[in-house]
Parts: sequence; structure tokens; C-alpha cells
Amino acid sequence: MAGDEQATTSRILILATDACAYPGADNVGQIHSEYPANTYIMRVPAPAMFPEEFYLRCFEKGIDGIIVMSCGHECPYEGAYNRLAVRIGEVHKQMKERGLNTNRLRLCAICTVCAKAFLKEVRQMGELLAGQASASS
Amino acid sequence: MSQTDTQSSAQQQSPESEQPRIGVYVCHCGGNISDVVDVEEVVRAVAGLPGVVVARRDMSMCSDPGQQLIVDDIRNSKLNRVVVGACSPSLHELTFRGALSRAGLNPYLYEHVNLREQVSWCSKSDPRGATEKAIRLVGVAVAKARLLHSLDPIRVDAKQHVLVIGGGISGLRAARDLARCGLAVTLLERSPFLGGRIAQLSHVYPSRDDARGLLRRILDEVMADPNITVRTGAEVVSSSGYVGNFQLQVRLHPRGVNGDLTSEQLQAVIEACPEAVQSEFDHGLVKRKAIYRPYPDSSPSAAAIDWTTCTRCGKCAEVVDGESITLDAEPEEITLDAGAVVMATGFDLYQPRSGEYGHGEFSNVITLPQLVRLMDETGPTGGQLQWNDRPIKNVCLIHCVGSRQMPGIHEPGPDGRLNEYCSRVCCTATLQTALEIRERFPEINVFEFYQDIRTYGRGHEEIYEDACRRGVTFLRYRAEEPPTVSGAEGEAAPSLAVRVKDTLTFGEELEIPADLVVLSVGMVPRDIAGLVETLKLPCSADGFLQEVHPKLRPVESAVEGVFLAGTCQAPMDMTEGCAAASATAAKAAALLGRGHLELDPFVARVDLDRCQGEGKCVDECEHRRAITMVETEVDGERVTRAEVNPALCNGCGMCAAVCPHRAIQVEGWRLDQYDSMIDALVADYPALEHANV
Amino acid sequence: MQQGKIATDALVIGGGIAGLQAALDLADQGFRVLIVEREPSIGGKMIALSKVFPTLDCSSCICTPRMAAAAHHENISILTYCEVQQVDPAGDGFTARILKKPRYVDEVVCTGCRLCEYACPVNVAHEFEGELVARKAIYVPFSNAIPQVAMVDLDNCLLCGRCEKECPPGAIDFFQEPEEVTVEAGTVIIATGFEMTHMEAKPEYGLGRLRNVLNPLQVERLLAPHGPYGRVLRPSDGKVPDTIAYIQCAGSRDHTLGVPYCSRVCCMYAIKQAMLLSGSLPLVEVTIYYMDIRAFGKGFEQFYQNAKAMGIEFVKAKVAKITEDEQQNPVVRIEVIEEDGRVEERAHDMVVLSLGIVPAGHADGVLPASRAEDGFFLAAEPKLAPCRTDHEGVFVAGTAAGPKDIPDSIVEGGAAALEAAAHLRRNGRSPGRDMNARQESTQGTLAQQAN
Repeated sequence: MAGDEQATTSRILILATDACAYPGADNVGQIHSEYPANTYIMRVPAPAMFPEEFYLRCFEKGIDGIIVMSCGHECPYEGAYNRLAVRIGEVHKQMKERGLNTNRLRLCAICTVCAKAFLKEVRQMGELLAGQASASS
Repeated sequence: MSQTDTQSSAQQQSPESEQPRIGVYVCHCGGNISDVVDVEEVVRAVAGLPGVVVARRDMSMCSDPGQQLIVDDIRNSKLNRVVVGACSPSLHELTFRGALSRAGLNPYLYEHVNLREQVSWCSKSDPRGATEKAIRLVGVAVAKARLLHSLDPIRVDAKQHVLVIGGGISGLRAARDLARCGLAVTLLERSPFLGGRIAQLSHVYPSRDDARGLLRRILDEVMADPNITVRTGAEVVSSSGYVGNFQLQVRLHPRGVNGDLTSEQLQAVIEACPEAVQSEFDHGLVKRKAIYRPYPDSSPSAAAIDWTTCTRCGKCAEVVDGESITLDAEPEEITLDAGAVVMATGFDLYQPRSGEYGHGEFSNVITLPQLVRLMDETGPTGGQLQWNDRPIKNVCLIHCVGSRQMPGIHEPGPDGRLNEYCSRVCCTATLQTALEIRERFPEINVFEFYQDIRTYGRGHEEIYEDACRRGVTFLRYRAEEPPTVSGAEGEAAPSLAVRVKDTLTFGEELEIPADLVVLSVGMVPRDIAGLVETLKLPCSADGFLQEVHPKLRPVESAVEGVFLAGTCQAPMDMTEGCAAASATAAKAAALLGRGHLELDPFVARVDLDRCQGEGKCVDECEHRRAITMVETEVDGERVTRAEVNPALCNGCGMCAAVCPHRAIQVEGWRLDQYDSMIDALVADYPALEHANV
Repeated sequence: MQQGKIATDALVIGGGIAGLQAALDLADQGFRVLIVEREPSIGGKMIALSKVFPTLDCSSCICTPRMAAAAHHENISILTYCEVQQVDPAGDGFTARILKKPRYVDEVVCTGCRLCEYACPVNVAHEFEGELVARKAIYVPFSNAIPQVAMVDLDNCLLCGRCEKECPPGAIDFFQEPEEVTVEAGTVIIATGFEMTHMEAKPEYGLGRLRNVLNPLQVERLLAPHGPYGRVLRPSDGKVPDTIAYIQCAGSRDHTLGVPYCSRVCCMYAIKQAMLLSGSLPLVEVTIYYMDIRAFGKGFEQFYQNAKAMGIEFVKAKVAKITEDEQQNPVVRIEVIEEDGRVEERAHDMVVLSLGIVPAGHADGVLPASRAEDGFFLAAEPKLAPCRTDHEGVFVAGTAAGPKDIPDSIVEGGAAALEAAAHLRRNGRSPGRDMNARQESTQGTLAQQAN
């Protein structure tokens, strides 16, 4: 239970693409499905615009988990998804070097009606952070 | 907070050079938000954030009184940024931007917070959590709002002139439709004659309309249209520029003949010409001269000289005393400016490999397009179906030659590619020809060897049914066991036999004697490598030009301002090619109609104070080539700096991620904005006051 | 009855993907467009599909932006839940009488919050979900409907008033009356779309009688990520199906049904569904009974070959009839055309009839253009200008002119827009003129439905 408490005080940042994942998150609300309120969604045209250091700085500033919800291969920007995937891999390497659990940064594809996949991602990240919190307490 | 960033990135004077004066509005949405989120708490918590001068709530911000509240506050409280927390931005972001415009504020000084779909509706059982989340999200928006600055749509002048490349049916249709939209058009045809493949047909399925009659109608319209300039013998050499402003270098090959020859003179010069070559119009069934006209009603009607065959012997010119024939003209190069380009370069026919179904081995193994020419009353045999003066008793038609090829069964073509696709038109074309044979020559037996009959189009299935009724015999083969064609060795045109394992008779091995074997050859992508290279057009795996989205944007290429009409994109019939051509014209008219393009302001921008000219962004944008390095002067020194062409930038931001100096950013989505949004997300906010939350 | 009047350049009848494309391509040229849609939301059939062939893009994801683009376009007005009653030539244009059916919900005031749905005690089979689950008597048509507003299904409403009490903005109005709207337009584009073949004429296939015999739109919903069960289950008992069969040309190439033509999309949607089913049910065996596989479009043949490689079984066979056994498993009686030509019966857990496409739309004489014998609108110049009807100024796009898939419909939407624009110009209507007049005419009786 203590873990749950911890998990809800942790903060999950979702970077959601304007074309797919952001409307997908709207869809979750439209069907009135619930997920923890510690989940904060920021809209972005293409997450390929964030440099590696952006993610690392988010963790430094106190963001506990980041889910990059992309359009996957339906990305409207030519080449951006592949670039993003490479960059996330790069960030994972740097996270490892700093002793950060790489699962705290997740890349996934969410479509405009992928409510289930959205909820699953949020749940998994929540569980991960709760597990980490209880392990460290 | 990064105030310095704001100042350095803001070039316009007001209002961003002023201190931010932010108005925050939180919507109850008639209870949809306020039943879960304590709206009053949100307003109280954000009212004290730096820069916020007004914080209000309202039952319905999107209503007229709600919007008026914003307009009045902008005017009375001198707001220069606005944040509204309401439903999803997909519903009302534009509504509130409109309110800013009405109050005289730049609409991009607005930030929207999604408190309904992404807060109240998904946190119903956790009002306290939802309220805290709402506070943070509004705080995040306020942080971004502080760093917003005015943006304006980007205006790029556009030429109201379109180049159509290809003078076949799709190019003609596109040219005519573009002209009907008031655009100037130049139609470029590489060969000396317009009309393309349709001119080679006698009639078109399923209506059996006279093909050249239909072609003549559209040709007459094109020729009479004052907005259209036709250039034959025109070859695109290179291109540069971008949407709205392309420049194409075009080589004009001389025709050699002007139109003043009488038909008797024309007859005489053609007879005088000693050089002959296989007629492409008749698919090599007969020869034509180096000075030629493919068919009597050709367009233009003047003959032309095929310079690769002509030896410039001058015999033709002698006949007419040098009048009207010029043998020493050189190609001329011109540059054409265009706002858009329509690709209508057409297809090539699959050329069977030597020995494929006996092709090249036996002269009585021909292709369907050759058969169509033979049956054409204006064709080389006057429409008589005969081979080497021998009457024909059995005709065997083999489908899917050069289409639906499979790895391991078929051999790749010279370019190493298998044609795995279906060519779409050959089934109906073959059936139509089979039916016509049965109608015109009832004594001839027709056999069709097929895998699947694909008469998908309107009126096509009837042709299949008619062919069955008229006694065409169908034999079905499996792709793994295609039919084989054999004949007596040493004879050029022997009696042939087609053997097949017919799955319709439970796999029985059948042998059909044949006087003529006809291969239904498919369409293959035309070799337009030069054009593809210079216009940077992507091709699909099948070698045809690739549309930007196969489902939703079927006539647009990935290069903005370049459109795809007809069979350059994929096999299609005349109906489909014309529909695609018209659709490209609609797109070009929308693009160029106003004489300028208005582009979203959300494109990359270079901060010249920060750019060090390293060029990483240029490499990252290699696929779009929107960024170039230019020479410029900074503090009296000549330096190299990045420059963005907004007409080519799609705002993906890949450049922003690689710049070590944060010198290039996507407007509206700047990294400094995200940084302060993250800071605001993790910042401390006043504790909630209400116990019930 | 309330009355309203709208003047516009182009009237587009039908807000499916072809109509939306036609409207966008005209509006982008600066012409004013009014879309009239019979259903309560735009989006047509495409918005209900799961994924599209051969790209396997999520259909909703690529359709929703088009719907939003039309809804937000400054030159486009949209009337949903409206019936076109008559279109007549008038001067160099047309006059249309349109009946705006009452939703019993004020579209301007409703925020689509669905509190009414939760309050409503009535459950009715949900059309959008292929009647596989229930909806309420007051409901938002589906999750990404545009406009995102509720409506009352008065036939099933108990008039208990619970929704009225729950509605935050007080949008529910049981006294709403039908409105008649007169539209004056310079040109008309018919994009009235299609329906699936009516299978009542073929009772031996059991559609509607046998519970595990489904129509393909129901399977689209089963496969959609936000579909009725959230997974693939068969309707009779909720069992996860192990064997699924597709019957091709069920309702096409069949003179007995009055549908002699090929419906052109059924081969591909069956292959697509088979692949998606194999993806979501790893153990499922899918069999497709067919006559000819017509994988003729760009990338289609490769898609078909991939399906074969995935293990989907293609059997060239004629299906005589479908019955069911005690477990409600459909039993298909087939005559195998290849191999030995045997007749046999095969039981499957679920059977899908690959229904064909028949024209939807209006009674004869409502629209000023002729139909061909097959019921689809006649193309007066099918080879050179496929969108022209036999009435000048009236154009046709998409499946109203015969079966076709999404890109072919979109191409025709563009082509029809071109023809319509050329017609308007010829009659002296230039784009972008009197923008203020437009603003006035759409206000008043008519809700600005697009947010």
C-alpha cells in the first residue's frame, strides 16, 4: 500500500503526438476510462525534436517516468519516427551510465482510438514506479 | 525562468518585448469539469503565478459571453497572453484563437489546457488528484504562455502556372482541367506526338467507345484552350526550386518538319526516306520510316523526324525542294517556371523475356497490344486476323504475363525487380478482345489461360459473362504451374501447343493446339530515372511513383507541389487515369489559386545570435533539404549560418534536436518553452484549501 | 415547422470520405460548400472501419483528421441528421429542400459529456457497433463523431425525463421540431455512398437468422481497438473463435440478388480481416471460400500473397448454403471447384459473409441525375470525365457511382470538386467572393455544428 501511495506522488510525463497519441488520450477521456491523476500529457508535433539531454534533464528535475507516445510508423513526418527510436535508444544508454532504470523512459505507438494500449502503458509505468518506490523504501 | 531566451528569440517589438500580462480562464463546462475538478481552487492557485494578471472561471467559456469575457479583458486589462482550461484543444483551440484575433491580439499568443478529456473525465473518482493535476497543467500552460510570441502565417508567392509532364490521356485531362481552373498550363510531351497509349487502341472497354474519337475530343479541347501551351519533343533535363516556385530546364528537340506539307507531299517524303525502324505505334508488327506520322489523325498532324534513326541523308528534303523540312536544327533549352508539376509520364508495356511462353522463339507468339493493333481496322492488317497469310483456327490468350510474378517461379527483370503486382487492366482488356474475336470471327476458337479473372470495374463483369456465353473457353492455372508453349523446332511460325494443368477440370493435363498465342502483358514502370532524380520523387517498391499516403492522399507525391496523374503511379485504366488527373487539377487549383501559398507558421527558425554555422541541422534535414548554409554578415564578419526555407520545412523539429546551441527551433513548439513547462510541472503550488476536495 | 435558407456555391450530399474530400477540395479553392449528411455524424462508413487495406493504417486515425478539417474549414458548413427531400434546377443553379430531423438535443448547447447516456435506463442495439452491443435511447453516436453531440432515439425513449435532469447545460428539448431548410447552390455533388447487399433475398446463407454468421462491418467493429467487446468473440456465446470462414461474392456477381457486378472491395477486406483476426487470435484458422481473388490495386497482390504466406487458407469453392449445428456453429456446404470437385460440409465457429456494395441514397427523382440499371448514378462520360452525370452541374463521387475503395473514392472526390469548380467558374461564380454574405446566411436557424 505504501508503494501505491508513493506511486501516486510520483509524476509521469507523457509526450503525446498531435496526430495520433494526443487524440488517443482524448479518446480515453471520451469513454470515461480512468487512470491515475499523476499522469501529465504534453502535446508535441514530433518527439524527434527533443535532444537526448531533454529527457535526462526531466529526470533530474523530478519527473519519475516518461512515456513517449508516438504515431509509430504512421508518423506524418518523414523519417522522424526512426530518428526518434534511435534517439530513445541513445538516451537509454546514457540512463544506464547514470544508474537510471531505463524502463522509466518508454517509447510506444498510440493511435487515435488505442484507449486500451494507452491505459496499459500508463498502468505499467505506474507499477514500475510503485515497485521502485517500495524497493527503495 | 529563461527570460533571456524570450528576449533573444523575440524579434518583433510588441507584445512580447513587454512584460507578459496573462489572462487565465477556467471553464466549468456546465459541470463536466467542475463536478470533478474544484475550479475555484484552480483559479486561486494559478492567480498568483508570475505574469498572471487576470484569473477567472466561467460556466461555459466557449459560449459567446465566455469569449466576450476574454475580449473585454484583453482590451481593459491590457492582456498580452491568454490561457484557457477547457475541453480538448481539438474542439475549441481555434475558437479561442479567434477571440484573441477579434480583440486585436495575435492568435498565437494563446495556450490551451485540456481539463475535460484529459483531467475530469479520466479522474472521476479522484477529485483531489484531478484538481491538483488541473493546477499543474494550467501552471504548465502559463509557463509556456510567458514565452509565446506572435506568429504569422508564412506567405510564399506562387506561380500560377503548372507544368504537366506527359501528353497521354492523363496529361491531357490534367492540362485541360488545370486550364479550366484559370491556371496557365504548359504540357510537355517527350515524343513528337500527343495521345499516348489511347491512340493505339481501337475502342475502350466496357462501353466500346471509339478510343481515338474520345482522344480527339480532349485533344481538340486542349488545342483550343488559350491557357494551354503544348510542347512536343520536350524533355525535362533538370529541375530546382520548391512548391510554388519550381524551375524546370526543358530541352526542345526539333521536329524537323513543319505542318505545311500537303498529304501528297507527306506521302512522297515518307516514301523517299530510306531508313526504316520498327514502328512503336504498331508494337513492332511493321516498320516505319525515320520521317513518320504514327497514324493519319495524329496530333500534331505534322510528321516528325526520329533523329536516332535519321541519317540526315536529305532525300526527304529533296522531294519538297528543302521546303518545310529542316535537317540541321539543334535542340534548344528553355527554363520554365511553375508553381506546381503534374507527373503524367505513363507506363511501359512488359517486354516478355526471350523464350517466355515461346516469345521471341515463335513469331506467332505475340502480345495482347499487338493483337489489338492487328484487329484494329486502321491497323497494319486492316483488321484482318491472320498470321503469315494462314487462317487462324485457335487463339490462346495467356493472362498475367509479367504481372503477379512470384519469387522462385519467375525471373527478375533486367533491373532485378519482380513485378509482384497485378496490372489491373489486362483481364478486362483480354476478355474484351476475346469477345471481339468470337463476334467478328465466329469460326475462331478462343482459349483463355488465367489465375483469377479480375473484372472489377463497372460494366466489366458483363464482358466476362458475355465472353463465357460466346463460347470462350477458360482454363485455370496455378501460379506455381504456369502453362507452357511448344512448337516444332526450326519453324518460325509452327503450329503451337499450349499445355496446362487445368484446375477447373480437377488438375487434368490439357493440350490446346494454337495458331496464335497471345500474351497479356502487364504494365511496368516507365524509366523516368532522370525526372525521379531531379524532382526527388520517391518510388514504391514496385517501381511506380509513390503517393504521399496510399489511402488518403492518392494523387500527391511526397514532394509538395508535385502531383501524380495516371499510370506513372500504378496500373490503371482510362477512367481511373482521368479521375486522378482531374483530382490533381483540383489540388493544384487549391494550392495556386490565390497566387501565393499560406503556410502554417510552425516551422523551424534560426536564431542568428546562437547559430555557429556547424551545419548539423542541414545534415539532419537531408531528406527535405529545407535548411541550407548561407553566407551572411554578423558584427561585420562574413560567416556561414543556417537558413530555413519555410516552404520546404514541415516542422518536424529533427533539426532542433541536433543543434548543440539551441539555435534552431520549431516555432510554437520551442525547446525553451518545453523546459519551462517541465519546470512548472514539478514546481510547488499553493496547498488546496477546500476540505471537500 | 421552422424554416431556414442557405445560399452556397456547392451542395455536397453525403459526408462520407468521398463527400468530405470533394468539399475540402472545393473549399480550399475558395468556394463555399454545404455538406448535408443523413446520419448524425459525418465520416460515413470509413469511420467505422478498424484498419484499412493494404497499409493496415488505423481507419479512425486517418479519417478523423479529414472530418475535423472539414468541420473547422472556414468555407465549409455542415448539416448532419438531415434528409435531402428534393433538388431541382433553378436558374443556372439548384434549389434543394432539406429536412433537418430533430435530435431533441440543442446542438449548440450540448457539450457531448454523455451524462444523459449514463442516466438513461433504456438499452437498444447499437447500430454503429453492428448491433453487437447496446446503446442508450439518448446517445452520442460514437466516440469520435462530429459533431460530438447527443441525440434522442424517440422510438425507444420512455420519456422518463432522467436525461433532462442530468444534462448540465439543459440541452435536451423534447419539443424540438423538424426544420425545413432551403439551399440555393450553384452546383451539386452527389456522394451518397453505399449500403451492404441486402441478404434477405438469399435466406440460405442465414444472415440475421444464424447468430454466428456476421456481416463484414460487424467484424470491423470486433477488430476495432475501441470495438464492442474490446476483443474478438463470437456473438452467440462469447466464445473465442478457433475457425472462421469467409464466403466471398456473397451478394455480388449474383443475378438472383440483382447484383450482377463485382463489388470490388470484398476480396481485399476479407483478406485484411483474415490477417487482423490471425493477428489478434494467434490460434485461429481462417478459410476464405472464393471464386476469383481480385487483388487488383496498388500493393494488393502483395498483400494477398502475404496472407497466403501467413497460413490463411484460400479454397476455390461455391457455397450452396449455411446451416448450424447444436453448438450454433455455422456449417458451410461447399462444392470444391479445384482438386476433386467434391461436395462437403465444414463447420466453423464463425462465418463472415463478404457482402457486396449496393447504392444507398434517395428515391428516384429526388436528385436531378439519372441512375443506371444497377442503381448507381450514371456516368455520362465514363471514360473522359467519370464524375459527370447526365445533368449539367451535377457531379458524382465515390460509391454513389459504383463500388470502389477508399483511395478511388478520394480520387473521385477530388475529380468531382474539379468539375464542380469548373462549372461554377463557367457560370461566373469566382471563388472567395462575398465572404460576409456567407457568414450571415449560415447564422440564424442553423446551428454552426462544426465546433
